Amino acid sequence: MFEPPVQRLIDELARLPGIGRKSAQRLAFHLLHVEEADAVRLGDAIVAMRREVRLCIRCFNVTADEQCSICRDTRRDPSVVCVVERAQDIPVLERTQEFAGRYHVLGGAISPIEGIGPDQLRMQELVRRMDDEGIEEVIAATNPTVEGDTTALYLARLLKPLGVRVTRLASGLPVGGDLDYADEITLGRALAGRKEL
Amino acid sequence: MALRHDQGIVLRGYPFGEADRVVVLLSPNHGKLRTVAKGVRKTKSRFGGRLEPFSHVDLVLYEGRNLDTITQVSMIEPFHRLRGDLERVIAAATMVEVADAVATENEASVRLFLLLHRGLRTLDRTGVHADLVTSYLLKAAAVVGVAPALESCAGCGRSDGLDRFSFEAGGALCERCRTPGAYALRDGLTGYLAGVAAAELDALPAADDAFTGEAMGVARRFLEFHLERRLESLAVIDG
Ligand SMILES: [Zn+2]
Ligand SMILES: [Zn+2]
Repeated sequence: MFEPPVQRLIDELARLPGIGRKSAQRLAFHLLHVEEADAVRLGDAIVAMRREVRLCIRCFNVTADEQCSICRDTRRDPSVVCVVERAQDIPVLERTQEFAGRYHVLGGAISPIEGIGPDQLRMQELVRRMDDEGIEEVIAATNPTVEGDTTALYLARLLKPLGVRVTRLASGLPVGGDLDYADEITLGRALAGRKEL
Repeated sequence: MALRHDQGIVLRGYPFGEADRVVVLLSPNHGKLRTVAKGVRKTKSRFGGRLEPFSHVDLVLYEGRNLDTITQVSMIEPFHRLRGDLERVIAAATMVEVADAVATENEASVRLFLLLHRGLRTLDRTGVHADLVTSYLLKAAAVVGVAPALESCAGCGRSDGLDRFSFEAGGALCERCRTPGAYALRDGLTGYLAGVAAAELDALPAADDAFTGEAMGVARRFLEFHLERRLESLAVIDG
C-alpha cells in the first residue's frame, strides 16, 4: 500500500484495459513528477470527453451531437448498414473508402462461453432501424473470431425473415503476405470465398 | 528453460497485455493448460487463426514460471464447420464450457479430452443431433464421477417405478425413496436418458421429440447442480 492519494490513482489506472498493477504504479509515479498544469490538463481532457461525447441516437457511434457525422451525411446510402462490434471499428472501415452506407454499433459480440447473449447487445435497436430507415442490406462486419462469427450467424437468423439481405465481410489472405504463412482456417476461408476473374 | 511438446483443444482465450493472448487449452496429458501466445493480436501473426476455440492443435511450449509460452502451433484438426451455423456453434461452446469447468491444471485428463474431441468431431461431421449435447453432458458427469443413476434407484437400487428425480440424491428415485425435493418425471424419461447416456456420441438412437427437450433440461440442471455453476452457453440464445 502507498499513501492514500497515490494508491487511489493506482487503483483507478489499474482498471483500464491492458494496464496491470505494475504499469499502473509506473504511470502513477510518473504523474507524481509532472508539472501540476500538465496533470490538470490530463484530468480535464478525461472529464471533457466524458461530458461532451455521447452516443449517436441512431447508430451508437461516438459523437458530440445527437447524431454522428456519418448519420448526418445526406450523401450516404441509408439502405446499407454495416454492423460492427465497437465504435473503434468505424474509423478503420472508413479509411478503406469502400463503404458509403451507415453503421450500427452492437457494443460487443455474442460470446456463449462468457454468457454474453444478444440481449446484452443492441440487437433490438438494429431491428427497429430496418423498418424506420428502409434498410435493404446489413453487412456483418464483426471480427473473424468465434464470437464474431456467432454474432453474424445470429444477425442472419434475426434479419433475414424481415426480408433484409445479410452479408458477411469476406476473410482471406493479408495483402502483401505469403501463402505459406497463412493458417489453415484463414486459407480455407479464402478458398471458400474465392472469386471468378 | 525447457521446451516441451504437447497437444490440446483450444477452450478459450482472452487478451493479455498489448498484443498477446492467453490461450486456455485442454491437453490429454496435462489437463488444463494456460499458455501465452505472443503477438497474436497483430494481423501479421502467423498463428492467431490456429488458436481460436475448438481447434485441435499440436504445440511446442517454452516453459515459464507462471504461464508457458507457445512457440509453435500446427493444426491437427480445425473443426471449422463448427462455426458455420448457430446450432453447432452453441453446442460446441457448451461442450467446451463444460470441459473448461471440469478440467484441472497439471493433471492428466485423457477421458475428458477424448470426450470433448469426440463431441466436437461428431458435431463437425454430422451436425447437431437433438440429443447430442444431452449425451455429452451426461458423459461429462460420468467423467467427474457423478454419473446420475438412471437405470436403478439412486436410493435402493431397484429398477422399476423410477418416476422421481433428485439432483442431491444423484439421479432417479423410486416411490419409496423419494425425497421432498425430488420432482416427478414424465413416464419413460429415465429410460430415454439412460439410452442417450449409454450410446456413443456418433451413434445416438433416433431422437424422440416428446423427450429431447425435457431430457436436455434434466441433464443440464443435473450437471449445473454438481458443478455449482450455470452453463452460460446454453442460456445465450433461449434463456
Ligand atoms: Zn450515427
Ligand atoms: Zn428406491
